Amino acid sequence: MNARTLRVFAALLVWLAATGAAAQDDEAVLDNVVVRNRLYEPGGHLEVSLGVGLPVQSNLTAHYFFTAGVAYNLFNTFAVEARAGYAASRHTGLARSISESFLAREDKRVTDELEDLWEMNLHGVAGIRWAPIYGKLSLVSDLPAHFQAYVWAGGGVGSFQRNSVIQCSQVVDRELGVCDNRTSLEDRGSASENYWVRETRVAPVVSAAVGFRFFILDKHGVRLELRDWVFRDNYRVNLVRDDWEAGRVTGDVASSPGLTHLVQFDLGYTFSF
Amino acid sequence: MRPILSLALLVAAAAQAAPPRFPPSAVVLAQAEEAPSVPGPGAETSVPPPPARPPEPKPEVPRAPTSRPEPTVPTEAAKAPRVEPALAPMDDAQDEQPVVSEPVPERDVDAPVTPDDAPVLASSDEAPRTTDVQEQRLVNGAPLYNPNVSLHIVQKKRFADESKHELALYPAVVQVNGKYTNHAGTALHYSYHLQENFAVQVTGQYNWHTNESDFNLELIDKVREQAQAASSLLLVWGAQAGVEVTPLYGKFAFLDDKLAQFSLVLSGGAGVGSTRHLIRPEVANEVDGQRYNVPARFGGTGNKFLGSVGGGFRLQFGESYALRLEVRDLIYTARVDKVDGCNLADFEQLEAARASGQEFGSLPLSSSCKYEKFDGVDPKTKKNYREDIILGRDLVAEPSSDVLNNISFYAGFSFLF
Repeated sequence: MNARTLRVFAALLVWLAATGAAAQDDEAVLDNVVVRNRLYEPGGHLEVSLGVGLPVQSNLTAHYFFTAGVAYNLFNTFAVEARAGYAASRHTGLARSISESFLAREDKRVTDELEDLWEMNLHGVAGIRWAPIYGKLSLVSDLPAHFQAYVWAGGGVGSFQRNSVIQCSQVVDRELGVCDNRTSLEDRGSASENYWVRETRVAPVVSAAVGFRFFILDKHGVRLELRDWVFRDNYRVNLVRDDWEAGRVTGDVASSPGLTHLVQFDLGYTFSF
Repeated sequence: MRPILSLALLVAAAAQAAPPRFPPSAVVLAQAEEAPSVPGPGAETSVPPPPARPPEPKPEVPRAPTSRPEPTVPTEAAKAPRVEPALAPMDDAQDEQPVVSEPVPERDVDAPVTPDDAPVLASSDEAPRTTDVQEQRLVNGAPLYNPNVSLHIVQKKRFADESKHELALYPAVVQVNGKYTNHAGTALHYSYHLQENFAVQVTGQYNWHTNESDFNLELIDKVREQAQAASSLLLVWGAQAGVEVTPLYGKFAFLDDKLAQFSLVLSGGAGVGSTRHLIRPEVANEVDGQRYNVPARFGGTGNKFLGSVGGGFRLQFGESYALRLEVRDLIYTARVDKVDGCNLADFEQLEAARASGQEFGSLPLSSSCKYEKFDGVDPKTKKNYREDIILGRDLVAEPSSDVLNNISFYAGFSFLF
């Protein structure tokens, strides 16, 4: 009785194990079909890209990026890329409002420059792109989309300019906050030159991004990316109003100015050769 | 869209009338071997397979040897392990023995050679989908006939959501558009999936860190400017009810090893939230030569209507667990005309009483005014609360209103049951 029970039990165990293993194999095979069946394999291909970036958040400055890049996909999941571009930048309405009202604020004779006021213009970076995720989704009926998700990191150099919203070297109208050569006091657009203290520099920049690349047809792709440009801030502290309004350099360089982040949402197009 | 597609299919069918085309056998294999699965949203076959017909001879196209047995040939191929060479990528498939070559008893020298990666039939009782070996050849691991293999993507959903409950905990909810404010908190969502891609949801969120941003404090410090009270309103907690839809469904592989399924989730809701405003930032108080750090002080500004829209990804691991990464925009209307229940007239009376050293209890204040919060001395920091009256008055001196967008990133995990 016991021997028979054991035999039945053993047979049952073997059957269960075999069934389980078969099911597991089957599942693994079927899953891997989805996983491995890459329709697009960028490895070994050169690609070029164009992109437009919009600011995610703008406090005092706003940047609109136009970039072009070239990348070589060493593997399906790994690429090296160089990007260069120009960022059209401007002061936000808040910055203009601060600058105009601060001219008339006589109770603040000594102050510090505001942080994060550098605007990036020309820039070039080189980096690596790691795309460990390859996936597919059904965007709309009948249209499966293949995509890669990636992270990007690199560094380079950029040209920067800084227009103060505090230091006006030639006050035209304090009450109206005019610090330029406008022909009509009410018409800001008539000015061809302003007298805000302006600085320029070239500095290293670090960039990191996460994004998706959706493959379209064989060689084309659309890129959606969240990118952060990081560079060291630089501003002066302990500024004396009498000095800057007389056109003299005033204050000291901040000892620990911190880092400035420009976060952008990038929409791009890629072409693979 | 549909009529255009139908027309296109009609034209395609007419063009293919002479050499009949059939669904790729790999697809048939996948369907035959898979466990019952749930169709994904919007998941439809890109091209409906035409009815199976016996293969017609196509003299102009190379094909498998005519001696190849009829449908019953690869009976072993119906077993799951035989599926692998047909569906595996080319590299893997090349290492395998040709599946179809076994039953070929004698090969004509002039006959085309069957590729190693030719797919096999799903079962013995199924007619061959195509006899054209070129069409069966795998390209990038998929039949040349339809390299996209969209069926695999959109039709197989391993885990059904319908009629399931989902409890999601977001330990980290961090505001990402903190111009004047900073928020960080924790949220809890409960969802009931009425349908596969539609759920009702209740949400609770508590922000354990709320403060004005460093940028706003910098403006105050350096240029004597600050955001309007309504623009820097802080959200302490919120409760909402809403819906969630999952219009997109997909799968991805991490380094070809780990498979994950994800859904794009879109959500919307409405509810109520409690707000407050910073009255005084953290300061140092020096009394009798001793220095005390006085923590920041906030004043309640009441409950506000709260709405939200959001979107993100739900990555499902197994049947019961999912990782959720979302971005939500909490929208709340803000009008600041009272702080701690006191309006401008109340603050004017309090300020006058403070200057004259009068008791606050005898003042004809509005019933909602919690004047006790502006009276007395903190025993720990020796801070006189009466000094905050002027700060409270500044907040309501010019009643402001705004519609605030508090965009936050939600990272959490959920349990389905």
